[in-house]
Amino acid sequence: MDQEQLMKKIVEEVVKEMMAGGSAPDTGRPQADGPEGKVTASNYPLAEKLSDRIFSQTGKRFDELELKALLDGQISAEDMRISPETLEMQAQVAESVDRAALAENMRRAAELINVPDARVLEIYNALRPYRSTKQELLDISNELESKYRCTICSKFVREAAEVYEQRGRLKAG
Amino acid sequence: MRSKRFEVLENRPINQDGFVKEWPEVGLISMENPGDPKPGIKIENGVVTELDGKKRADFDMIDTFIADYAINLDNAEEAMRLDSLEMARRIVDINVARKDVLKMTLSMTPAKLTDVVSQMSVLEIMMGMTKMRSRLRPSNQAHATNLRDNPVLLAADSAEAASRGFDEIETTVGVARYAPFNAISILVGSQVGRRGALTQCAVEEATELLMGMRGLTSYAETVSVYGTEPVFIDGDDTPWSKAFLASGYASRGLKMRFTSGTGSEVQMGYAEGKSMLYLEARCLFITKGAGVQGTQNGSISCIGVPAGVPSGIRAVAAENLISMLLDLESTTGSDQSFTHSDLRRVARTLMQFVPGTDFICSGYSSVPNYDNMFAGSNWDSDDFDDWLVLQRDLKLEGGLRPVTEEEIVAVRNKAARAIQAVFKELGLTEITDEEVEAATYAHGSKDMPLRNVIEDLKSVEDFMKRGVTGADIVKALSATGFTDVAESIFTLLKSRMAGDYLHTAAIFDKDFHVVSAVNTPNNYTGPKTGYQMSDERWNQIKDIPRAVRPEDF
Repeated sequence: MDQEQLMKKIVEEVVKEMMAGGSAPDTGRPQADGPEGKVTASNYPLAEKLSDRIFSQTGKRFDELELKALLDGQISAEDMRISPETLEMQAQVAESVDRAALAENMRRAAELINVPDARVLEIYNALRPYRSTKQELLDISNELESKYRCTICSKFVREAAEVYEQRGRLKAG
Repeated sequence: MRSKRFEVLENRPINQDGFVKEWPEVGLISMENPGDPKPGIKIENGVVTELDGKKRADFDMIDTFIADYAINLDNAEEAMRLDSLEMARRIVDINVARKDVLKMTLSMTPAKLTDVVSQMSVLEIMMGMTKMRSRLRPSNQAHATNLRDNPVLLAADSAEAASRGFDEIETTVGVARYAPFNAISILVGSQVGRRGALTQCAVEEATELLMGMRGLTSYAETVSVYGTEPVFIDGDDTPWSKAFLASGYASRGLKMRFTSGTGSEVQMGYAEGKSMLYLEARCLFITKGAGVQGTQNGSISCIGVPAGVPSGIRAVAAENLISMLLDLESTTGSDQSFTHSDLRRVARTLMQFVPGTDFICSGYSSVPNYDNMFAGSNWDSDDFDDWLVLQRDLKLEGGLRPVTEEEIVAVRNKAARAIQAVFKELGLTEITDEEVEAATYAHGSKDMPLRNVIEDLKSVEDFMKRGVTGADIVKALSATGFTDVAESIFTLLKSRMAGDYLHTAAIFDKDFHVVSAVNTPNNYTGPKTGYQMSDERWNQIKDIPRAVRPEDF
């Protein structure tokens, strides 16, 4: 790369950072900058700064996904779904800007990726008031743990069962 | 004998509005209710054992959820010891940074934050918004709906809305079964108007999530939470079901926010003798605790209630500020008609418009009032030029840009043709050339030919049964020559895989660059800081078509 090109690249990087308005230093390198290799706000947006680390659930790489591939039938909607690893990176970004609750939601979400759409909807409905007996909620909690390895969500549903029982919001058994 | 002056006053629009005296015992009071709990917290071994004067044994499910999820306990005792007036002063003090305010407010209880904002005049509340809003640049959201759920008109209207500058567009239904058609119509239309605009379809929770999962929408908002347990149960949810729903959205890479607002509890008859603002604070703590990135609040569909009591519009501004003090994306209402008076509806909006919020209106009606299916809006399509002049008068960022008739006619036409092509390609009901023409030039649904509703609804049912997805819409657009629109919707779908727009106050610019509170946080610390309008943007706002050049005189 000659001098002129190099300067142009540096200027472009600076301008990009200014446009992003970020105060965090940007090394321009596609790697995690935080302590212990954690992803932080300086890696955000991941789509631009860590795109080589974003894979779909089916193993497709983010920056390789193109419209043409969809039209040619080489990829489907399934190949465009977010993966638990990506949500974990986003949770770390949230933590780096002091948003612990948002990070926790992203971690619950990471667990739910492998639960089918229809089952997510059913579990949501089961958590509505007077829909489930305590045992039904405990069964869902166990299913989340054993079938889908959703540790946080399993605990969350178990906790709901206890609260609903105390507050009389369970289905008459 | 009647005073002629009083006769004239009686007939003014303001006197068609309803007003009511306070009744604190039932919660018909905007803020500062003597019945509100005294702020307090007791923490034992890392567990909240007392919250705002209530012992853990007496907690209802909302208290439990807030105590266990919504308060940063690390600084809680220090924050709760801080005098409310001192905290209020720090909020308006330009020498105290936003993050230092948050360090305290994120460790406070609902009663404490209510007490803090109650110390503030409406001007100070606005000052607080300028500093505490999460995203640097204020933005705006539009409604696109119509009386007949006409898909062609929805596509044209959402294209116009996006082209005029709205970063988010929300639709809902007249007939519930139309929802998927409405969703895809504004999805396609919005991308014709402006690449990267986000769309949602507000319907029953489970249906809304299903459409999101299928890629027919790009975010969700109408996920309501309430401040008392009986009203939450009446709303057919609990904090746990709503938090689970929030995770369901994030698991599919979809942005979402909760919705709440002052007045909902007293309107539904269970305010438990508390002020509207205190109950709304509880809603916002639930939102925070669920790990949701933002909220739509500002009374919303209950605006008639706080607007009827003293200091009600101040309370609406105060509830917006509380959302910001909890570091949530603020989407600040103005999305339902509440007054007959043009003077009053402008005054109500200035509270958010002047300081700027993440979305000033959580539903500026981009259609005529009669077509707005959210029970009207405080602003509608007939007011576009008024809004543009207000931006110009005050040099304020209100999200919109001046446009020409030619360019709007062109985007409306293209959007109508694009949805016509998608319907044809996917084997849905026919959209005729006559409808395309009508939607291009329409003021509202009264200018549209009637559709065969029975055939449409059969077609919707078939569409859902076949499991048509956003990817199928992309293919249909590409096959019919709308490659640029196909590319935009493809990029929207692809962006879910990265999850960048799950973060606080995220929107996309026309190049699908995400703009959020993470990479463009509000950094206001006084004059000449925070959002500064660029010369380019100011020139755009200045240049309304009707302004004549001095040299032309």
